[in-house]
Amino acid sequence: MSNKKPSSIFVSGPIAAQKIAEDIQKHSSKVSIGAHSIFLGQVRADEIDNKKVTAIEYTAYEEMVMEKMAVIRESFFAKYALTCMHIYHSLGRVDVGEICLFVFTSSAHRRDAIDACNEMVETIKKELPIWGKEICEDNSTVWKQNN
Amino acid sequence: MDVQVIFFGSIIDITLVDSVLLNNCTDLDSIVNDLIERYPALANKKYFIAVNQKMVHENIKLKMGDTVALMPPFSGG
Repeated sequence: MSNKKPSSIFVSGPIAAQKIAEDIQKHSSKVSIGAHSIFLGQVRADEIDNKKVTAIEYTAYEEMVMEKMAVIRESFFAKYALTCMHIYHSLGRVDVGEICLFVFTSSAHRRDAIDACNEMVETIKKELPIWGKEICEDNSTVWKQNN
Repeated sequence: MDVQVIFFGSIIDITLVDSVLLNNCTDLDSIVNDLIERYPALANKKYFIAVNQKMVHENIKLKMGDTVALMPPFSGG
């Protein structure tokens, strides 16, 4: 299936709302789909030692992410009845309020799309070699930690 | 025998470079010992190791041209 081909998930900088709208629009021709589930991660203005975070800068081990994603994709298509699944993650600087992660799953019935989307977000945070460095208003930096 | 070691995230704050070429390292343990000698702060650092993009949790033999990655805990998303 063409949807399973390994390709980079990375987008340079923030993910534009326009791209998300266009991706939804593209699926109108896939009429077997009855449900989409979308997760959007947005950079939050956390406060660290009384300093506000103004952006996160992402780096990744890109080759390893691609290899891992190919395996993860295959396991998700085996576990859930998905029509398609699209994942985008930012690299480089993303300012607070901007989108850094876009997970988009589609299926005939809602349960598969919703469950796959939720599990994918957790998998991305846990399994993919990606790192976020929080940049504060005084330009000091703190490495982000996932819970 | 050359093995490339690449660093990511907060590990680079310690090494100040994103890769080094090591020779005379035949297994992973010898790489780690060599790196701790060069960068003592690594000894107290939590990280995962991948060899040729696969996670490795025990000592393994290395061969010419292998790429070893030191990766701190992931924080994507």
